[in-house]
Amino acid sequence: MRQTRRFRSWRFAPVLGPALLLAACAAEAPEQPASGTDAVRGLNGSWEAYPQRSFGLGTADEAEAPVPPPAPVPEPPLRPEYLETWQAERARNAELTRQGLPPVSSGMACLPEGMPAMMLAIFPMEVLETPGQVTIVQEAFNQVRRVYLDEAPLAPEDAEPRFSGHSVGRWEGDTLVVETVGVKDYVRFRNVPHSMNMRVTERISLVTDDIMQNQVTVEDPEFLTGPWSWTWMYRRWPGYRMQEYVCEDNRYFEDPELEYQRLRID
Amino acid sequence: MAFAPRRPRAIVRAMAWRPRARVTGWCLALLLAGAGGAHPLLAHHSFAMFDTTSQVTLSGTVTSFEWTNPHAYIELDVAAERGAVTHWSVELGSTSILMQGGWKFNDLKRGDKVTLVLNPLRNGDPGGLLVYVTLPDGRELGNGPGRGRGTR
Amino acid sequence: MKVPTVAVAVSLAMLLSAPVQAQAPPDLSGVWAPYRGGRGDDPSLAPPPASPIVLKAPYAERYEERRAAEREAVERGEPLATDAVFCMPYGMPRMMSVALYPMEIIQRPQQITIVTEAFSEVRRVYMHEPQLPVGEVPPGYYGHSVGRWDGETLVIDTIAIKESVPGYQGMPHSDRMRITERIRLITPDVLHDEITIEDPVTLERPVTYTHAYRRMPGYKMVEFVCENNREYVDENGVVRMRLREN
Repeated sequence: MRQTRRFRSWRFAPVLGPALLLAACAAEAPEQPASGTDAVRGLNGSWEAYPQRSFGLGTADEAEAPVPPPAPVPEPPLRPEYLETWQAERARNAELTRQGLPPVSSGMACLPEGMPAMMLAIFPMEVLETPGQVTIVQEAFNQVRRVYLDEAPLAPEDAEPRFSGHSVGRWEGDTLVVETVGVKDYVRFRNVPHSMNMRVTERISLVTDDIMQNQVTVEDPEFLTGPWSWTWMYRRWPGYRMQEYVCEDNRYFEDPELEYQRLRID
Repeated sequence: MAFAPRRPRAIVRAMAWRPRARVTGWCLALLLAGAGGAHPLLAHHSFAMFDTTSQVTLSGTVTSFEWTNPHAYIELDVAAERGAVTHWSVELGSTSILMQGGWKFNDLKRGDKVTLVLNPLRNGDPGGLLVYVTLPDGRELGNGPGRGRGTR
Repeated sequence: MKVPTVAVAVSLAMLLSAPVQAQAPPDLSGVWAPYRGGRGDDPSLAPPPASPIVLKAPYAERYEERRAAEREAVERGEPLATDAVFCMPYGMPRMMSVALYPMEIIQRPQQITIVTEAFSEVRRVYMHEPQLPVGEVPPGYYGHSVGRWDGETLVIDTIAIKESVPGYQGMPHSDRMRITERIRLITPDVLHDEITIEDPVTLERPVTYTHAYRRMPGYKMVEFVCENNREYVDENGVVRMRLREN
């Protein structure tokens, strides 16, 4: 599962002298200056959630907190006709969990989190900037999302429903503004219901060289009384090698009678 | 928690990239121009469940169109004589392959009346592999490039 | 514009070293579809034929038996279960020769990332690094890949593919299998990936085959999530399709 710190030492001291220079020469091939959507802005690399999701993972520099962590995700501003049901389900799931009967989840079936939950970065995240596109890979469930910088946003009715939706982005100064539509209606964050008209806006920028913030806003007038906003943050993890994630030994299943997660023991 | 600055690390400013020429208007139909020349290096696993030498024609009402992977499905209620209804599950290719064959995710929906031709399951269960379908608007769509009425 | 300190090293390298590649490497970034030759296409664009798989004993015999059993099962209409029934991705090297599905190359100087549309598989090639010793890499579906430029050819070396990941054409392989790829542009729009598999344990000699791609400008890669897998293996080991009742 999660990589431990020992794999961080995969940082190779390059072989000496000429080899280093040769490598540097090949890597730093002279290229034309950036402009417009071709500019790459320093989001490239491996990132981990900030603050860390659990103790002992990631860079494990718990004592250092370079910037204040973001506030917790607020309650969803659900419309009254949905709020009670959502609260009741949350209470029921919490009670089941307390009894040691964890409720069924998409992850149980090895299904990816989709948007916006994938941007929680429960495992590390990789950002790749190339001209006209920002590609984000989440190690959890190996989720790949692409943000196109040269495209107009799709109308929701034209967007093939997906786990990660369809994303277009533009740079506003040093902030990457991303709009996502077309998320399947059964792909939920915190079990909050939504329509196919849900729109997720992200404003992504560097707070410091090593801390990235993502101001997320979910809008869906059919289900929410207003925008639902919060901030997620990530810390750069230089040298971290993204691991593969293949759901090849999934032993979870749904108990047919009581509808909770169970583990198959052979 | 003390806010101690991290050991400074130089950010490796990514290199500027050459602007790429962009060609717009790529016609996916060119993908279909292979005329069956390509050999699939990895033969599909499940075609063998279906009798690809025989075809069954069904007319019915769509109960759901599942635009999913690894396969899309058309679920169909087929009325027989004397009002009995048989429900059929019709397998299509993956969404990517279907899109290469001209499909869109919203080409079918619950309630649509369609006629389709399929290769039936060998074991006699009411299921099969789509050969082609006639949509309510009269369009005919096959099951991805290389499969369909005109390609046999 | 800031001058990278390594620019000084670059100048030294040019003085000290053998002919140094001063021009930028070819840009392979973009979306590529498996090449399907059309009428009138230059025949040199098509990939050359693959070399045969020559296995060592006893792998050769077992392999032939398995292939025969597979063929026979298909003819009966009861195909043997494969990884695909369980939505397992292809892994290396098979992901690099999937018919009908495009792939995307995301090329950056230190890392070339390849995403194939079938199963949304991701592999990463770390550029200009030495390869790791086989024993130091946890075996997986994608292993560990390092790359370098040999003129205009991208040469990739991959190790540490798990034994349980089905091999090219179903061939058996050990964890010492090594995959070498030579990727180059035959024309600006046609790319060849010449794949060579070596395995000191199972193979008598290397196997080489080439998969060809054509650029798909403007195509947007789509998602592939295995969320509606209806295939299963019944009590007799036969692959079946789960039907719905309504």
